[in-house]
This record gives sequence, structure tokens and C-alpha cells, in this order.
Amino acid sequence: MNILEVEKLKTYFFTEAGVVKALDDISFSIPKGSTLGLVGESGSGKTVTAQSVLRIVPKPGKIVGGSIFFEGEDLLPKKEGEMRKFRGKKISLIFQDPTSSLNPLFTIGEQLGDIVVQHMKLKKSEAKEWVIKTLKLAKLPDPENAIHSYPHQFSGGMKQRICIARALLLSPKLLFADEPTTNLDVTIQAQIIALLKDLQRDLGMTLVMITHDMGIVADMCKWVVVLYAGNVMEIGPIDKIFEEPHPYTEALLKAIPRLDQTKELVFIPGNIPNLIDPPSGCKFHPRCQYAKEICKEKIPSLEDIGDGHFVSCHRWKELNNRG
Amino acid sequence: MGLAKYVVRRIIYMIPLVIGISIVSFFVMYAAGDPIQIATMGNPSITEAQRQFLRNYYGLNDPIPVQYLRWLDHFIHGDFGMSLYGGKPVNQIIGSLFWETSKLQLFSIILAFIIAIPAGVYSAVKQRSVTDYSVTSVSIFGISMPVFWFGIVLILIFSYHLGLLPSAGAHGAPSLWPVFGIRDPFLDELAHLILPATVLIFAGLAWHVRLLRAGMLEVLRQDYIMAARASGISERKILYKYALKNAITPLITLLGLEIGLMIGGAPVTEFVFSWPGLGRAYVTAVSKLDFPLIMGITMIITIMVLIANLITDLAYAWIDPKVRLE
Ligand SMILES: Nc1ncnc2c1ncn2[C@@H]1O[C@H](COP(=O)(O)OP(=O)(O)OP(=O)(O)O)[C@@H](O)[C@H]1O
Ligand code: SF4
Ligand SMILES: [Mg+2]
Repeated sequence: MNILEVEKLKTYFFTEAGVVKALDDISFSIPKGSTLGLVGESGSGKTVTAQSVLRIVPKPGKIVGGSIFFEGEDLLPKKEGEMRKFRGKKISLIFQDPTSSLNPLFTIGEQLGDIVVQHMKLKKSEAKEWVIKTLKLAKLPDPENAIHSYPHQFSGGMKQRICIARALLLSPKLLFADEPTTNLDVTIQAQIIALLKDLQRDLGMTLVMITHDMGIVADMCKWVVVLYAGNVMEIGPIDKIFEEPHPYTEALLKAIPRLDQTKELVFIPGNIPNLIDPPSGCKFHPRCQYAKEICKEKIPSLEDIGDGHFVSCHRWKELNNRG
Repeated sequence: MGLAKYVVRRIIYMIPLVIGISIVSFFVMYAAGDPIQIATMGNPSITEAQRQFLRNYYGLNDPIPVQYLRWLDHFIHGDFGMSLYGGKPVNQIIGSLFWETSKLQLFSIILAFIIAIPAGVYSAVKQRSVTDYSVTSVSIFGISMPVFWFGIVLILIFSYHLGLLPSAGAHGAPSLWPVFGIRDPFLDELAHLILPATVLIFAGLAWHVRLLRAGMLEVLRQDYIMAARASGISERKILYKYALKNAITPLITLLGLEIGLMIGGAPVTEFVFSWPGLGRAYVTAVSKLDFPLIMGITMIITIMVLIANLITDLAYAWIDPKVRLE
């Protein structure tokens, strides 16, 4: 059973410079209760995917087509007021940067308590207990005092625990964690990853790990969706992806960052394409070591090659002796 | 540091500032000219000997430092001396006009602030919409329109042609202004306030709205706003609680400045509406070199600016937990 099914989703940003096709016709689904890795380089559309599912794409962005089925219900036709009941309650998002995603002028108790009150219609005192309970779940030390403190009084790792608690307040069924460790020290990263793994298992949530770090994916995820320049390049179970990867995934895998340079972005020769005027055919062709004439001319389609493995590449079969 | 201790310390620091400003104002004022000369200019029958007599009478012949120390001694005892015109004590003149000016100014400044909040928030949310452009145009219109011209237009329409509102003064005299036929002292004061306050609100509103709009546009792009949205918080709460508190600091700064400077802030409006206020009295005092009155009003403005500044700093600390009172 799939908890989420994204079909032909298109999210564009209508900027002064032109239309940025951040998500250009992407489709994928997430099996219920699994951990799925959403990977791709910077600018590939990972964050916009999470924002689109929650329908919080910032201006000048707009979802211009497709559908998003959550537990069988299409979210896109929903009214704003109805959609709000999904946000934070059934679907949550942990942001890329814990520091900038906490409001500096309100206490932790106030910010998190408001969310509980919004969805549960509890009294303030009951909401407070609820918040403390959830902060404990995220292993924040001394939650009774923490609720009276402001974000700047915590370290980066503690702030991320607070953000995790914020996302978990209402036990969502689907949790997007948007590069939850990129802005943290290496030692803290491992703790946060361990915490997310435990929580996913204990709460039975479906977890989407957004990352460009294939090491984290290998460690946590059963399924992987690989994005490049607003297109799905590959979908599949983790072992298939490591065994017979799409050429872009292969390049990503070669670039698994070493522990001593985890802050470095994944490095693949060449630049991420301009999404206003993207390359013709396969968007990866200017950087692909296997590119041929056909790659420039024809857009490859996402093909089912069995075992839940899908690739979008003209030459994959040939390269993997499946022609 | 404790709040009380901080406030006391700030007030103690104000003393040298007040004295410093009084010294500078005093000497600048004396460099400006001879008040006796100005006062007697239009009267050819006055002799030089009579002028000398007047100068001696008001102590204007003593060395300036001596005059300053005499002024300071009176000031410390809460006495601003006698006006050179009309023979009234400066304290009494200021006392009667202070309230009228504060009433008009506080009413206008606070109302402009209150109107600016929804206007600024709304035009930021509806950026580049018809509403945004209308709010912007109306407020720019307010900034660029000359105050005396707008005041006179209002008087012509609402007082002269429609007879709805009084055109001059702060109170109805000899009888109260009828509001819908009712003669009531409070309604009478309100009726007198409306036209001059409209002029002042229009003149100041644009700054408030523009500042808040710019602040909101900046804040609404922040991750913590998107995070609140991602958590299902209602849009109204996001705008008026989570975003506004982050965007309002520049508006508080402006409010502090306006309240600090309000005493001398609106002489033109006071002239147009014959408002019995200190702004008008200040301009008149300067043009006549009425030294004691100039010094009196200058010191009141100085003290108000310093106090408003202190209150603004307290407000910052109240809004932002990272601001420390030191
Ligand atoms: N507010 C915006 N205005 C204009 N373009 C945007 C905006 N947000 C995202 N985009 C565009 O959408 C594309 C995808 O961005 P997204 O933030 O989803 O990338 P990402 O995969 O999350 O990258 P990163 O690893 O850097 O977080 C980018 O090319 C970006 O230029
Ligand atoms: S379609 Fe061509 S360019 Fe694109 S990934 Fe496959 S081989 Fe490379
Ligand atoms: Mg991102």
C-alpha cells in the first residue's frame, strides 16, 4: 500500500528572469511505513517536492499540474482550510536549517504549543504537557525548562531536536526530513540520524529522508527516488540502485562524501542546468559520460525494469546488458 | 540587570546630556540677535536709553555665562523665567499649551500606527496587487501633499461648505460645537480634533505603512514563517502574531521618534487650524527671540526625546529576547 502517490507533478516558479521549472512532471510513490531516500544535487527539486506535497510552495512558485494522492485522497483540489488540517498533523516537515526555521522571538513552548492548540483544541495547560511529552520523545534534555527558553539559547543539535519534536507533535503518518543534518557538526549528525531511525521504527511513520548524501541513504533507506533538475531519474529499492544504477546515480555514488568532509556538497563535473532553459533531451546529457546523439534529441521516459526499479535513460539497458 | 536599576541608570545619564544641550542652545540663541532690538523695531519713539533699561531689566547685559548660570539655577528649581512678551511666566504658557499639542499629536500618531498595521500587513501579503498599489498611492499622496494646502482644502469642504466640523481651535467658544445636535464637552473636543488629526495622520501614515510593508516582505520569506505554515497554523495567526512581531521594530523606532518630537512637530498644522499648541508658540518665540520661552520649550522637547528613546529601548528588549539591557 502506498501512503503517497505523486503523479505528473509540475511546480514552477514564475520569476522575473523566466519560468523556473523546479519540478517538471515528476511521478513516484511511497510505500506505507517505509523509509525512502529523496536524493539529488543541490537545486534538483528535493525541497520543492516536500513543499508541494504540503502545498506550501512559496511565491512566486505554483503547482501548475499533476496530482498528489495521500492515503488515496487527492490533495491538490482541497480548499486551503481543509489542507491546513493535513499540515503538521498528517504530514510534517523537518526543515533544512533548524536555526532559521524557529521563530527567534517566541519561546519554544509558545511555538510548539500553538500547533497543538491549532489541531487539537486543547487548553493551554494541556498543550504544554503535550509539548513536554513530545520534547522528551525527541530526547531534548530538561524539557520542562526548555519550553520557557528562546531558540538562541540552544545549540544547533538541540534546535534540531526541537524541530523534530515540532514535526512529531501530532504523530504524523508521513514525515519529510529535509537534510536534517547538513547544518550540524559531524558528531551530532550521527545522533540525529539515530534518533530519526528510532522514531520511525517506534512510531511506525513513513519517513522521507531528503539528502544528497548517498551514505545516509545506504544506512537508512529501503527505497530511493533520484531527482535531477526537476525530473525523476531513477526509482528503486536500495540494493538495485547500488547494483545497476542510472548514470546520474552512478555519478552520485562515486561522490559519496567521506566522513572528514561531510559538509562538502556532492561533486559531479559540470554544472546543474539552468531550469529556465534546460538542456534538450535528457537533462543530464551535458554532464553524462555515456551521452550519445539520441540523449540530446529525445527525452527518455521512466521505464519499469522490474523489481520496483524504474530508470529514465536511453542507454541503461545497453549499459547493463539487458538490451 | 534589573529593569528598575537600568531605568534609574539611564535617567541619571540623561542629566549631563540635558545640561549639555541647554548650554549649546543657550549660546546659539544668544548668537542669533538681540531680542530687545527686535521687540522695539517697529516703534521709532523708543530711545536707545530706554532699550538699555529693558536690557538691564531682563539681565541681558550680563556676560553670557553669568546669564546661563542664572538660567540653570532657575531651571533646576523648575522655573523657566518670564516670557519677554506679555509678562507671563514661561511655565504657565507651556502648561496650558502642552496638553493641547500632546492631545492632537498622540491621537494622530497612535491612530496612524493602528491604521498602518493592517494596511502594511495587507499590502505586503497582496504585494503588487491592486490593493497594494492603492495603499501605496494613498500613502504617497499623504506624504507629498503640502500640509497647509491639505488643511485648507479640508476646512473649505468640511467647515465652510458642509458646516460639519469646526475649522479652528481646540474647543468650542463661547458655546460647544454641536455633534449631531448634541452639545457635549467630550464630543466638542473630538469634533475639533478631527480635521487637524486627519492632516497629521495623512502626513505620517505613509512612513508607517512603507516601513511595515518592507519589514513584512522580509519576514514573510523567512523559514520560520514557512515552518509555521507547514505546521498548520492559521494564516491570521502567522501574519499578526509570528510575522508582525518580527517586522514591527522599525515601526516602534519611528513611533518613538514621533512621540519624542511631537511637541515641536506640527507648527504648520497648528497655524492652519489655529490650534492653541506649543508648536505654534515655539515658532513664534523663535521669530521674536523670546529667549526664556525658546529655552523652556527646547528643554521640554529635549527631555521628551530622551524619555521616548528610553521607552523605545525598553520596547526593543521586550520584543527581542536577545536584546540585553546594559
Ligand atoms: N523561492 C524560489 N524562487 C525561485 N526559484 C526557486 C525558489 N525555491 C526554489 N527554486 C528553484 O527550484 C529549484 C529546486 O530547488 P530546491 O530548493 O527544491 O532544491 P534542493 O534539491 O532542495 O536543493 P538543496 O540541496 O540545495 O536544498 C532550484 O533550481 C531553485 O532555483
Ligand atoms: S539518457 Fe543519455 S545522457 Fe541521459 S543519463 Fe542516460 S545515457 Fe546519460
Ligand atoms: Mg533543499
